[in-house]
Amino acid sequence: MEVSAEEGDSEAPHAIDMTTSEKVVDLLNQAALISTDEKLTVLKQVQELIINKDPSLLDNFLDEMIAFQTDKSIEVRKFVIGFIEEACKRDSELLLRLIANLNMLLKDDSVNVVKKAILTLTQLYKVTLQWLVRSKAVSERQEACWDLVTQMKGDVLALLDSENDGVRTHAIKFTESLIITLSPRTSDSDVPKRQEGDISLDKVPKDHSYIRYDVLCEEGKTALERLLKFMVHPAITSINLTTTLGSLATIARQRPMFMSEVVQAYEMLHANLPPTLAKSQVSSVRKNLKLHLVAVLKHPCSLEFQGQISTLLLDLGMPQSEITRSTPAPREQRKRPRHDQYKEGKKVKMEPALIEDDEDKEEPAPLSAPKPAAVPVAQSAIDLTAEFLHPLLNPENVANLVLISMVYLPDVMPASFQATYTPVESAGTDAQIKHLARLMATQMTAAGIGPGLEQCKARDDEVGKEGGEDDSASKDLLIKRKNPAVMVGQAISVVGGYQEKTSTQETPASVKRLPEPILPTTQTKLTGSSGRKKVFRLSDVVQPLSDTQIEKLTSRAVKRILHSEKAIAQSGMSHVRVKLLSRLVTQFEGMMKEDVLAFILDDIRTRSDLAFSLLYQEYNTYLSQLPNGLLDSYDHCLFTLLSGLQEKPEQRDGLFTKLVLEAPIITESALEVIRRYCEDESRVYLGMTTLKELIVKRPSRQFQYLHVLLDLSSHEKEKVRTTALAFLKRMYEKDQLRDYIEKFALNYMQLLVHPNPPSLLFGADKDTEVAAPWTEETVRQCLFLYLSLLPLNHRMVHELASVYTEAIADIKRSVLRAIEQPIRGMGMNSPELLLLVENCPKGAETLVTRCLHILTDKVPPSPELVERVRDLYHKRVPDVRFLIPVINGLEKNEVIQALPKLIKLNPIVVKEVFNRLLGTQHSEGSSSVSPLTPGDLLIALHNIDSTKCDMKSIIKATNLCFGEKNVYTSEVLAVVMQQLMEQSPLPMLLMRTVIQSLTMYPRLGGFVMNILSRLIVKQVWKYPKVWEGFVKCCQRTKPQSFSVLLQLPPTQLTSVFERCPEMREPLLQHVHSFTPHQQTHIPASIMSVLEANKKPEPKPVEPVIEKEIEPAPETVEEEAPVAALKGPDTPEQQEHAHVTEEEEEEEPMEQQESDPATQDEAADTVSEEEPSRAEKTPSPQPEPTEEPMETSQPEPSDLQEPERDAEAETTGPEAESGSEDAE
Amino acid sequence: MPSQPLRVAVVCSSNQNRSMEAHNILSKRGFDVRSFGTGSHVKLPGPAPDKPNVYDFKTTYVQMYNDLVRKDKELYTQNGILHMLDRNKRIKSKPERFQSCKDKFDLVITCEERVYDQVVEDLNSREQETLQPVHVINVDIQDNHEEATLGAFLICELCQCIQGTDDMENEIDELLQEFEDKSNRPFLHTVCFY
Repeated sequence: MEVSAEEGDSEAPHAIDMTTSEKVVDLLNQAALISTDEKLTVLKQVQELIINKDPSLLDNFLDEMIAFQTDKSIEVRKFVIGFIEEACKRDSELLLRLIANLNMLLKDDSVNVVKKAILTLTQLYKVTLQWLVRSKAVSERQEACWDLVTQMKGDVLALLDSENDGVRTHAIKFTESLIITLSPRTSDSDVPKRQEGDISLDKVPKDHSYIRYDVLCEEGKTALERLLKFMVHPAITSINLTTTLGSLATIARQRPMFMSEVVQAYEMLHANLPPTLAKSQVSSVRKNLKLHLVAVLKHPCSLEFQGQISTLLLDLGMPQSEITRSTPAPREQRKRPRHDQYKEGKKVKMEPALIEDDEDKEEPAPLSAPKPAAVPVAQSAIDLTAEFLHPLLNPENVANLVLISMVYLPDVMPASFQATYTPVESAGTDAQIKHLARLMATQMTAAGIGPGLEQCKARDDEVGKEGGEDDSASKDLLIKRKNPAVMVGQAISVVGGYQEKTSTQETPASVKRLPEPILPTTQTKLTGSSGRKKVFRLSDVVQPLSDTQIEKLTSRAVKRILHSEKAIAQSGMSHVRVKLLSRLVTQFEGMMKEDVLAFILDDIRTRSDLAFSLLYQEYNTYLSQLPNGLLDSYDHCLFTLLSGLQEKPEQRDGLFTKLVLEAPIITESALEVIRRYCEDESRVYLGMTTLKELIVKRPSRQFQYLHVLLDLSSHEKEKVRTTALAFLKRMYEKDQLRDYIEKFALNYMQLLVHPNPPSLLFGADKDTEVAAPWTEETVRQCLFLYLSLLPLNHRMVHELASVYTEAIADIKRSVLRAIEQPIRGMGMNSPELLLLVENCPKGAETLVTRCLHILTDKVPPSPELVERVRDLYHKRVPDVRFLIPVINGLEKNEVIQALPKLIKLNPIVVKEVFNRLLGTQHSEGSSSVSPLTPGDLLIALHNIDSTKCDMKSIIKATNLCFGEKNVYTSEVLAVVMQQLMEQSPLPMLLMRTVIQSLTMYPRLGGFVMNILSRLIVKQVWKYPKVWEGFVKCCQRTKPQSFSVLLQLPPTQLTSVFERCPEMREPLLQHVHSFTPHQQTHIPASIMSVLEANKKPEPKPVEPVIEKEIEPAPETVEEEAPVAALKGPDTPEQQEHAHVTEEEEEEEPMEQQESDPATQDEAADTVSEEEPSRAEKTPSPQPEPTEEPMETSQPEPSDLQEPERDAEAETTGPEAESGSEDAE
Repeated sequence: MPSQPLRVAVVCSSNQNRSMEAHNILSKRGFDVRSFGTGSHVKLPGPAPDKPNVYDFKTTYVQMYNDLVRKDKELYTQNGILHMLDRNKRIKSKPERFQSCKDKFDLVITCEERVYDQVVEDLNSREQETLQPVHVINVDIQDNHEEATLGAFLICELCQCIQGTDDMENEIDELLQEFEDKSNRPFLHTVCFY
């Protein structure tokens, strides 16, 4: 309307004074030219003008309006239909002109137009009837019009079989309206207010000139039958079903005379929900059913059906209380005169009298000419059969029935059953037994058996024979008379008999009506009989199909079977389908197989039975062609299934395993899929369990499967690898597999002797250049399996040693790194390991050393081990490094003997040795008692023969000791000093140690003074080195040392002052501070030395002293550097000389040997070294004060050079190891 | 129906959260959409589960908003009620009750089974006149903000698919089955007639 206002504005100039007629003309002209949307607006205006504003114009413009019914736009055509409806409602006379147009539109191509036309016809049917009923004299045109309407009515009813769901829905609604119109309204009808004026059968005069009451009445009943039949169709869609349920409820409420049929239909439906419905649709339908049942129940006429309805409602899960609430209070009965007349016997209460009752119901049926029969027959037959069954349902029979039917129950509960199942509330009561009898009767009748059906059949036949022309009243009587006889005469007959009779009757029916197009019927009754009388010649009907057609048809057929999964499952015939499919598919090549496999994989869980069936079928095919048969298609099937499963993201139900284990043969490609499955980290465990099962349960090919698992043991993914190794370890315990696994492991390890990694390590796809070098990765790959087996079989360790000796340096290094875990697992008591140590193959020394380190890393060495090592060291390979791991197991003198060699090793190694000896090793478990006490060690160091070891190394070694402040406490040091001092000759490093102790523990001052004094007694000046230290010490400890100095003989005192002249003055003053008495104790010679400065008196002495002393320091000075220079060279060369003659090439390897140690203790050495350096830096602090005095030479060479050397040495190996790592 | 936009109604119980969320999204996507509640009152969460705020259907969203701000601004800000009302008042002035609406729709989408039952019952209790079909579909959505948003998108997708069909009535069954499989929840579906 708003839009029309706009239009009006634009047209304002002429529109104002235009007549309505002119306006309409104008609008119609516009409408012809404009777009659909605007056209609709314009046309609506026209409609408004000519129908409501000025109906007199309607007639004039009718043709123009109707012309739009051929418009291209669906909406415009729909509008035209709406216009026809409005126009006819306004003026019924127009029906004469318009009904034909509606008929055309009813056959429109667009379903939407058709639907609209159906809706309009629903209205216009009533309008037409009303119009005809009112007109006194009916013209010929009117008659024709009615005929057309009647024909259209038939067409729409036929649309119940349309292929379009929506069209069917509309047809149902039309049928509903038709039934209501064509039946009489009674006093107990519910009449919606809007429809109060509507025509119904009761308003049709029985003496109408053209319209026949009884015909209409029959048409109404036929329509109802059609509707009922439509509803029980097994392939009905849920929407159609819902619609029908609603329509039936409406019918029952507005025409209570049909309530019985409706309730029975509901009952039947409830017992046989269409199998095609999905689960949610089932619940939707049940909800609807409930709703409509309640609506029917609320109707006062439901009284006699309350029992049935409430049973149904209970079944649908409605609580009794709610049912009671919806039940109307009982009313006075039989106040339905018209109803009675229309259908007598209807109100008879319930079951007991049903037989009679039902015959009445049935009786009109034959009248409706060629009747599609099933439903009405069924209705009464159900009642009869139920009646027949009821007394038979005693506990014993029921129990037998249950037991028998157990056999036929499907394995899986069908969805529809699950959705609809409600526990039986009132089991065993009479009402329930009755209900059960009805349920069974429903099923039996549907299946075409049961006494009820027989009787009805017989009755129908008789009625048919006696002719249908009698009026209904007389027929009623007739049948009432006849029936008892029929019942008595024909108790129960065979099923076949019944069918024969039907066929004759139904043939004409099916000839007249086209077979239902949408609904491929499952009702055998109809199809089975239809072709009976024809002489059938196949060649007449059949044309050869082209290959493509055949292929298309077969594949479609298979697809249909494939996709009818749900429907078949509900009927419990899944196994047949599965068998059928697998047979079909294995026989045909091509796409079908792919389709089926894809279908299975879509939802493999529920379709696994199909998968297995298919697989076995393929295998059978293969077996049947055996000598020449190919496994190809079996292989393809298995492969596709497994890969499908493998590629599915999650699969927890072990279907993969099941498939693998139940497959008759595992082909190569299937094994490949299993392998891929195992490589998937998330499923590796499941995959390998499957593989393990295969290995165990299929012995004939177990090595093939085992090989896959073995291959995986060197997989690049850690999880895959470790799982594979774990499985292999378990399998290694099985005797029959042990050899194979072991051989594989050893073979794999043997690869290490190649100069370059063989290509098989890189997998088939990576075709690398041959010259790729070994990497840590590839080396480990060769070792994983071996190393995990090693703790299980110690004997294999010798193989490692032999491979090791042959391998190149890089590999050796990797091997050394890799073996820690397994060697530790073997333990030092392993006889094989001890044997290895004992034999120590040439070239495997580093390996053995490494093993020793690993073994003793946390635990003290066992005596056996020590014994083996000692043997090795003494008898075969005198490499001192063997001793390190077991050093705490050696005798004290052995250690002292080895000490010179030990401290010449790489400083890091020395550090480790000391850690072991001093018990400062990181591991807490090393409670082993060192053969040397810390004091012993320090003393032993001092006593090393300087010809066996250079001074520098010794100094470094002592520095290491001093680094361990916790171990070398002042007490320990005091004892050491004491013991050293008592030795003779005095050790060269004595004073160095004294000074260092003093620096560390200044409170040792007094003790040191004591030492100094005693050294004077021991004529310390005879040891130039020590003497030098003595002087330095005194210089450091002045003034405390003054008293010691004064004890020196004059010559030595002079020597002191020559070295440090600045000492003289303070000492002199010190003496001057003495009491005169004290001063007298100082010999004059000393005093003269003290005062010597004034007179160059002691000059003659000097040369003497110099002669005495100078040569000594000089030699020492010279020796020391020489020793220092020689140090790195000579002793080591000597060493090597007797380690082995031809071990030049071993050199690098030997240095590597320190490498693992470095690795292991890297963290510790670094952290420990830093503190020790840090301690060194504080300790030099006093050194600056030292330095001025040290201008005299040798000390610097002691203190500084070591530092430099240490650096050189440490950088050496580090640089090497660095470069090694880089490799 | 492709030439004409679907007339859609989204119905929940109070016409606040689920239906409004869907209303919001559907109207943004160009649908001819309305939203309704089926309850006898409009209920909003209160300070305790047993103390909801109850309004009648005549109260506007603005009034509710102001009322709640007055009662406990912090609480209702925090639980998102104010935000929701703010959104709602931009869409329409007040909640509407489905049972009181006589307009016709092609598609009614309900947000829980109880509402579905009420809608179907109401539609069935009306007198039939034109016999125009209306499809009622239930999409279960929990009554909270997150689920409402997710549900609204599902509804929107559903509507778009239905709108996209050539012949809605013929295809809706299958479409819903597909949707059930896809979204892994069951839809109740029925047809009623005006």
